[in-house]
Amino acid sequence: MSAIALTQILLNGLALGAAYALIALGFVIVLNAAGAVNFAQGELVMAGGFAAIALAPLIGEATALPGLLLLPLVMGLMGLIGAGFAWIAYFPVRKRHQVAVFVSTIAAGLVLQHLANAVFGAAPRAGPPLISGNGLTVGALSISLQQVAVMVCAAVLISGTGLFLGRTQTGRQMRAVAQDPEMAAAIGIRPKRMITLSFALAIALAGAAGLLLSNQFFVSPNDGGLFMLKAYIAVTIGGWGRLDGAVIGALLIGIFETLVAALASYLVAEALLYAVLLVMLVFRPSGLLPERARARV
Amino acid sequence: MSDPRARLTLGIAAIALALYAVFFAGDYALHVLTRAGIYAIAAIGYQLIFGRLGALSLAQGCFFGLGAYAAGLGALELGLGFPLTLAVGILLPSLLAALIAIPVLRLASHYFALATLGIAQLALLVATNWTAVTGGANGLYGVPPIDIGSVSFGHGLPLTLLVWACVGLALTLSHRMTAGKRGLAVETLREAPLAAAALGVDGAAIRFRFFVASAALGGLAGALQAHAIGVVSPDVLQFHVLVLILAMTVIGGRASPLGAVLGALLLVHLPEWFRDFADYYLVVYGAALLAAIIFLPRGLAGLFGKSKMPPVETADAEAPRDPAPLTLSVETVSKRFGGVTALDGTSLTLAPGEILGLIGPNGSGKTTLVNLLSGIEKPDGGRILLGDADITGKPPEHIARAGLCRSFQHPQIAPDLTVLETVEAIATKGESAQARVIEAGLSTHANERAGTLPPADLKHLEIARALATGASILALDEPAAGMNEVERAALATLLKRLADAGHGILLIDHAMDFLLPLADRVICLSAGRVVAEGSPHEVARDPAAINAYFGESPL
Repeated sequence: MSAIALTQILLNGLALGAAYALIALGFVIVLNAAGAVNFAQGELVMAGGFAAIALAPLIGEATALPGLLLLPLVMGLMGLIGAGFAWIAYFPVRKRHQVAVFVSTIAAGLVLQHLANAVFGAAPRAGPPLISGNGLTVGALSISLQQVAVMVCAAVLISGTGLFLGRTQTGRQMRAVAQDPEMAAAIGIRPKRMITLSFALAIALAGAAGLLLSNQFFVSPNDGGLFMLKAYIAVTIGGWGRLDGAVIGALLIGIFETLVAALASYLVAEALLYAVLLVMLVFRPSGLLPERARARV
Repeated sequence: MSDPRARLTLGIAAIALALYAVFFAGDYALHVLTRAGIYAIAAIGYQLIFGRLGALSLAQGCFFGLGAYAAGLGALELGLGFPLTLAVGILLPSLLAALIAIPVLRLASHYFALATLGIAQLALLVATNWTAVTGGANGLYGVPPIDIGSVSFGHGLPLTLLVWACVGLALTLSHRMTAGKRGLAVETLREAPLAAAALGVDGAAIRFRFFVASAALGGLAGALQAHAIGVVSPDVLQFHVLVLILAMTVIGGRASPLGAVLGALLLVHLPEWFRDFADYYLVVYGAALLAAIIFLPRGLAGLFGKSKMPPVETADAEAPRDPAPLTLSVETVSKRFGGVTALDGTSLTLAPGEILGLIGPNGSGKTTLVNLLSGIEKPDGGRILLGDADITGKPPEHIARAGLCRSFQHPQIAPDLTVLETVEAIATKGESAQARVIEAGLSTHANERAGTLPPADLKHLEIARALATGASILALDEPAAGMNEVERAALATLLKRLADAGHGILLIDHAMDFLLPLADRVICLSAGRVVAEGSPHEVARDPAAINAYFGESPL
């Protein structure tokens, strides 16, 4: 393989991984806030894609930046959905066994999937591009404008999330609740409010990922499961509960998938990813990197 | 299911279903009923691993699909006849489950779910793409209908009856695995896994058995489905099959096999009843699942309530057995966590009938010592002997059966079991749970749910449970914490009586007015080392103990 081809693959992989990173980041934020896996994270990505398609007419065709203009709209809408999601699928079962949250989010994902199916139909649809226009060519390397925009958007959103959680008072309060809700409540933080906010942020990120992926990869109502699996695997690779690990894990998966798909086929990439995951779980049953999620005894 | 009312309900329901099938159901209704029976079998299997053990396996749909493929291929490629196709349909998923059980079952719940999902995804990829064998996306066609001898069970009433006979078999298997004392142990394993191990329950063996049984029943259902509809496509391995089985189990009730049957009947018939909703039916189905998990934590079966156990008779209960006299010897054990040395060459002995007080500041290694004794952690060096048996580094259930049992700082119980059931769950052969409940002073609470007991009674319950394993030596981690004067006095009386009966008791506590009068001997730990040892009087005046722990002499 030539250096050019390899660079091209890495570039494609990085763009895909960047979008996965947003999904995985949201997955971890909910994981830390709720202490449970959100199985509907993939369906929420899909919902973000369809939200972009549904809202696209508002922006109109004329503009050169349809997706970029839609992004805050989609994220705002998905944030609201996320807050509602917390109150419907999480708080009612919060005090019960962890498995109850698994099941309630599976159910919520099911509702979203079939709702999308009933409203938009099962066929894949293309979302609006972030920036309209062709790519540029650097030597033999072709870089699509869309790809660059995806990477830039993802980078901005990821660092923005990092700064928000690390540097703002609200972000610190959210982390405090994630670490120890009782303790946080004892010093005057309202856990319910912070958990709701975490869900809103996580699901806004999922929605953003849905928009970013919707142009190049299309969206269809049944895509959710795969997105969720990628996020789940990314978080397992990166260390359960670690924000930085989730991003790194997602980038690795994106590059791995693109590389293996180029060398062999997408099918092999898919199968190999699961096989690697299983082998990893056999030899490192507690994950690749040290866990940070609090144990719930 | 042992009480007469439940049996009666079951009998009436079975007869009503049979009457409906034989006299009232048309061809299509029979077809739907057959489908419900097939899914009921898969759901009964799923209930074992998910409902009873609380492990979210995402491979039940995969086991179902594999059963279908195995039966289909067995019939089409190997030319096997009906009972044999069923056998391979059960065998293949069971083998897969047994193969993956060892690495997968030890994973924490979130990784267990992911690993089983990964396996299911791999199976789906193989079925879709290994076209030469599986027929790829088109699948297998023309799986022959069921014939036994010259009798055809291909469709209609005979098929429905055959499938529901299999449902009966599945129910029997599930009942055998979960009825009575076994079920109580499984309940303890799900709700308090750490305690279950420390009480001698072999969790790994139970998990293995239940996982393989769930796969076998999933495979049986899949094999029946292959024959019933004659086609096997990769669709049987899709995630939605698992979700359907999961929904049946959750809506029907995760703890009751009849709930699984109810859930299957309901969810297979629901789309027939709600046909007018068209595409939105599936939205309603998702919403129903969500509503069930929120509003019906015990599912539909939970609406019928739990049957009451007969009250405990205190008059004719036999006296509790006296323990075998065992001496515990700890020889220079050490334990490090990373750079921290929690125990540094600690030695002690505990004779039968002796109460040994273990004191020391927080972080001095007291709980670590109990964790090492009970096998929850493995020592880095030294030996632990129970009588003549070396129990160093043995698993908790082995140590419990050898005669050493512990309590926990925070009681680990299954809240839904009654006090008597909690003790019965782990009582070994020859032990009377009733006698132990009475001995611990809990006879008036015997039929109350353990989750409703006040903290002091929970400590007594933990002791009763430990005694019921037949343990000779008890290691009690802060049993008097949070108790008032009266409760402490009652506990002291109980411990004294147990020591008189021959139990050796290792007692950790910070309440010196409770511990010092009770203990025959006291050991003071500091930074993982024994700094003082002797009679309560001697240790209370020992400068090293005063320096490390008391601050000033408590006497």
